[in-house]
Amino acid sequence: MRTNYRINSGVRFEMLSRDQLEEMYNGVLHVLDHIGLDVHHDEARDILKNAGARVDGIRVRIPRHLMKKALSTAPRSFTIYSRDNNPKHDIHIGPGRAHFGPGPTPPNFIDIETLERRPFVKDDARIVATVCDALENIDFCESLGTISDVHPDLAASYEFATMFPCTSKPIVAWSYAWDDSADIHKIAVAEAGGQEAFEKRPNYVHYCEPLSPLVSTFEAVDKVIFAARHGVPVIFTTCALAGGTAPVTPAGIIIQTTAESFMGLMLAQTIRPGLPFFMGGVLSVMDMSAMILTYGAPELSLMMAGATELAHYCGIPLWQTGGCTDSKCLDEQASLEGSISVFFSALTGGDLCHDVGYTESGMTGSILQTVMMNDAIGFSRRITRGIEVNEDTLAVDVIHDVGPDGHYLYQQHTMRHFKTEFWYPKLCDRHNFEEWEAEGKKPMRDRVVERTREIVNTHKPAPVKPETEKVIKQVMAAAEDRVKNK
Amino acid sequence: MSQILEQIATGIIKGDLQGVPQLVQKALDEGLDAQQIVQNGLIVGMGEVGKRFKVGEMFIPEVLLSAKTMHSGQELLRPLLAESGAAHYGKILMGTVKGDLHDIGKNLVGMMCEGAGFDVIDLGFDLEPEVFIEGIKTHQPDIVGMSALLTTTMRAMGHTIKAMEEAGLRDKVKVMVGGAPVDADFADRIGADGYGHNAVSGADTAKKLLGTG
Repeated sequence: MRTNYRINSGVRFEMLSRDQLEEMYNGVLHVLDHIGLDVHHDEARDILKNAGARVDGIRVRIPRHLMKKALSTAPRSFTIYSRDNNPKHDIHIGPGRAHFGPGPTPPNFIDIETLERRPFVKDDARIVATVCDALENIDFCESLGTISDVHPDLAASYEFATMFPCTSKPIVAWSYAWDDSADIHKIAVAEAGGQEAFEKRPNYVHYCEPLSPLVSTFEAVDKVIFAARHGVPVIFTTCALAGGTAPVTPAGIIIQTTAESFMGLMLAQTIRPGLPFFMGGVLSVMDMSAMILTYGAPELSLMMAGATELAHYCGIPLWQTGGCTDSKCLDEQASLEGSISVFFSALTGGDLCHDVGYTESGMTGSILQTVMMNDAIGFSRRITRGIEVNEDTLAVDVIHDVGPDGHYLYQQHTMRHFKTEFWYPKLCDRHNFEEWEAEGKKPMRDRVVERTREIVNTHKPAPVKPETEKVIKQVMAAAEDRVKNK
Repeated sequence: MSQILEQIATGIIKGDLQGVPQLVQKALDEGLDAQQIVQNGLIVGMGEVGKRFKVGEMFIPEVLLSAKTMHSGQELLRPLLAESGAAHYGKILMGTVKGDLHDIGKNLVGMMCEGAGFDVIDLGFDLEPEVFIEGIKTHQPDIVGMSALLTTTMRAMGHTIKAMEEAGLRDKVKVMVGGAPVDADFADRIGADGYGHNAVSGADTAKKLLGTG
């Protein structure tokens, strides 16, 4: 029996105090109540107005009490399910749980055979999904590209139809509009066994991106309405540039992007109270020399950490960002920027950390970067798991048994713990020099490429149901028919 | 070189938005002609700004302030330059294409082009091809600049160029395009004349297209 004994089993990271967070939260409510956002969607404005928002033209302002009510119905903890009932692939959203995955829609991709940058094609979606399915530290899947070799309106539908059979990890789907959102949903629902079954065990998340500063675009809002009406967990995330489309200060950009995200939350919770919702923001700096949205900046990690703390303060999960880089290839810069941001993201416990595999400031997807970051995530997770302290781990008895001048290799205690206490890298090399030399003196990047190709050639993801395969064919045939004259 | 022209150039570099128009007025009062003030004052200052930006000594917010300062000085001289029939730098019509509400990039290019001496007419964002067509007819620009941020909307640049062809206006203007997902290949494919990868290179492209850069 113990009294007032405190346990910290993991590494603690905390930046902002509750007082500071309350001040920021107050700033968000002020923006929504007094400045408001432009909402480019007639029906959405009607829904918001009926809920009590003040609508003036396209400007929508949300009174504080209304925003607080919407926040109260959005869950902090829930599960996104694997499509094949594989509990290892379920994602449990909740305190202290950071999950990782790639990001959506860069135009280019690094070809895993030629290692050259080229437009993203349909088969790349298969490669990315297959590799994500196999990587032990990647929890959800996105494609890392916009498919360029199909009808442009069907890029998102083909992406989902291609990835879904290649991974049973939950997919974060994006789409252009209502029609392709429906394509995606039909496929997911077929596998789940109907709409009702899907609502009990949602197997994908929908991604919507409004605009900074303070604009809810028609497409982003339309997709939130679709997701809410169909019970699809939803992400509403702007991609803001500090100093360009948002205030230059971290506190300022966090307040603005949170307000932007809350407009989506307000709409989603009004249509379907209780719908799982992820607060967004890709927050980074506009590099004032290169004029790019920087994906390898320390400020990105810092701002995302602040946003994570604010989201958690408000009782909702966050769409985090990390594992990305401004580098153009798999090099030291890619490793440095990716690894540090992944570690920082893991520390914050931000709930779904995306863009693992973004390179060239979001212009090029690289599954090679994702594979390298898989090791960085494993590394980070071992650290954030922390140190367990109890009678067994203190090992006083074992120290007694071994005594001076002994060794621990024969100890049951060692046998019981060494596989879980130690993390083993897949790609970081720990051989001695001669062994490394005998293996061909390979640098990390060569091992990354080899592992990626090996996974693509050998990994067999759990298949979808035969009826789902049929539905995929039907859905895509109908989609082609829909756009044939466009 | 007269001291006042040096002061004007320095004012441009510093982004002295209040001081430069006063200096320009003073230069006129001292009897310098408008063409001289532009060539040996404003443009000298802006040229130095461009150099400093390229080596990383100046940053975008500073460059934009310099461009705005240059523009404010030029506004004062515009009527005089028109009177004397001095070189016309060119008119640029610009906008973000249909389906795209992003316009910060386009605005930056516009500011840089104004700083480079162009007349800039900004049509706004989410523009149907017809709006560009009407704009060309009304304003008779030398260059049409189009921007898109989204991979989904960049296609609309091609549609707009097609609409210009159909309206028989394509030969009357140079077309330049830009925006994050746009590259030189894409610009070629849709039949644009030029491409800029950022705001500064956008202004350079405009000068090249008109043979003034």
